[in-house]
Amino acid sequence: MSNIKNLKYSEILKINTKLGSDINSNSYNISILSNITINQIKEILEYVLRNENINANVRIGDYDNIVQDSIKYENSNIVIIFWELCNIIGGLQYKIELFDNDQFNAIFEKIKSEIDLVLKNLNKTSLVLFNKFTSMPFSSLNLRKSNFEKFADQLNKYLEDKTKANVKLIDLEKVIASVGVEKSLDLRFYYSSKALYTIEFFKTYAEYIKPFIMSANGKSKKALIFDCDNTLWMGILGEDGFRKIKMSPRTKNGSIFSEIQSIALALNKQGVLIGLCSKNNPKDIDEVINSHPDMKLRKEHIIINKSNWTDKVTNLRQIAKELNIGLDSLVFIDDSSFEVNLIKEQLPEITVLQVPERLHEYPKMLRENIGLFYNLSFTKEDKKKIKMYKQQIYRESAEKRFSAIEEYLASLELKLTIFEDDESIIPRISQMSQKTNQFNLTTKRYTEGDIRNFVTADDSKVFSFSVSDKFGDSGITGLCIINFDKKNQTANIDTFLMSCRIIGRNIEYAFMDYLINLITNNGIKRVTAKYIKTHKNEQVKDFYDKCSFLLIKSDNGIRDYELFVDEYKPKKIKYIEVNNGK
Amino acid sequence: MENRIKKVMSAVFEVPVEKINDKSSPDTIESWDSLKHMNLVVALEEEFGVHFNDENIVEIMNYSLIRLILSKKLKS
Repeated sequence: MSNIKNLKYSEILKINTKLGSDINSNSYNISILSNITINQIKEILEYVLRNENINANVRIGDYDNIVQDSIKYENSNIVIIFWELCNIIGGLQYKIELFDNDQFNAIFEKIKSEIDLVLKNLNKTSLVLFNKFTSMPFSSLNLRKSNFEKFADQLNKYLEDKTKANVKLIDLEKVIASVGVEKSLDLRFYYSSKALYTIEFFKTYAEYIKPFIMSANGKSKKALIFDCDNTLWMGILGEDGFRKIKMSPRTKNGSIFSEIQSIALALNKQGVLIGLCSKNNPKDIDEVINSHPDMKLRKEHIIINKSNWTDKVTNLRQIAKELNIGLDSLVFIDDSSFEVNLIKEQLPEITVLQVPERLHEYPKMLRENIGLFYNLSFTKEDKKKIKMYKQQIYRESAEKRFSAIEEYLASLELKLTIFEDDESIIPRISQMSQKTNQFNLTTKRYTEGDIRNFVTADDSKVFSFSVSDKFGDSGITGLCIINFDKKNQTANIDTFLMSCRIIGRNIEYAFMDYLINLITNNGIKRVTAKYIKTHKNEQVKDFYDKCSFLLIKSDNGIRDYELFVDEYKPKKIKYIEVNNGK
Repeated sequence: MENRIKKVMSAVFEVPVEKINDKSSPDTIESWDSLKHMNLVVALEEEFGVHFNDENIVEIMNYSLIRLILSKKLKS
């Protein structure tokens, strides 16, 4: 959704004028026929659509001239009809309560015939948005239904029977309910100028009907791409494991994710493509898709799955390419601010949604965005389309887009703060050694007592770090334990690990630069290190290779490395500021 | 406050800020009709977080009066 709710009316007016002169595409003509004063909707609707690159040009018909205007404007791309009961005859809302049956029926017949005429005149217009009648502006909590309310009900019934394929009925009451009756109406201007609705009402109304117009312009979204951890289920697969991730409707948080998957499934049934883009081991994700008992999205629903360790910009580009749709047809959901901002910045065409911090708002957020996929001409063919896409998928070798990623990282103002033998964070360090699975070279688990021994011993040091960027601080998220053998001028890296939250920012290399520099200054000439394979740490198999260590032995999943510090090639990452946290 | 009023008027009436002065009124600004007046009222209310009653709406018929009535409202 665009940020229209936070914009003031005068700002919208100003930006809208500018947008109007910026867009070059053919103008898209929208005519609004009305029997009340609604001129404020013009710029608001134009703004909402121009923001989506639709060069909307809104014309407001003559005041209270719907029938004649329906002839005049039939050639518009879209005709919108605001037909307010209160002004069918001035003050109908109170006059109708005094009507006898004959009078009631007479006005009912009159409006029915006017509706017929209007619909006939607009028969060839490609899209007509007809607001359903509503009594809400003049209803109250009376137990007995007023004539005014009955009148609205009966007209709506008639309208529903009459509409053809080109006419969509708009539920005004949904808009009024969403804004609130009080905030939707400004009766000051009703009595002076026959205007009824507030700016806030028009903003919500414009957002509400936007999907129709997007669809008519071929701008509906086609694919919904999910991150996995904490987006499709609660927890981190690579850390918590297959059994601990939660998406069961029987648990509190799991039920939220179960609802999310069900919404996705329902969208898929309507022809929306569902895909995955997550940093995970592909095998692990396959296992969940194929055999996790609580998983709702299965292989047959997921058209494309990019679960790997490549950056998400490259992966999303690849997804668009393989599905043969534009980037602007993708909606991507992720829980991490890092990934969300990366995509917003690097691939602004993609609509990016972030899992809300208040998890219980997540299903509501997704539901509010379903309109993005709205398709005017949804048919059974759309279901077949999914099969078509599946057949059309073609694979090309992944294009690396390093430069763009580097550029983004540079904009983050990354700061690495390194702590040495800091007793105050021993509990957190121990916890990290016990919980970290993916970016963990040796996966040695240590108690607080163990860590305390490392911290206090003369021949070992414990380094940990926190990372911050312009969006916030990650807290203590990385650890390295080094044993020193000063007599032999040798050091051994016992543990090197990092929380998966901060993977992909090259933090590990800046940390390694710092450590090797410090080791060298302590008179050490040679560093040894190990990679011990587990079923979760595949991604760091070649970490030491990348850090210019030499592989000296590889045996049964254990890789032994050594480095002569003179031969170390520092990465010197310019965009990470390194501080000493003492 | 002056600048904010002028900015709002400029956006509503689609005239440059520099063209708005103490004498600006429906007589000097062509686009200032009754519909645009309504837009001006809601835009000013939003900008300054105030509420104009029916009397105010009729009163604020030129720039000086807008400034006067707004400053009274903001003081109270």
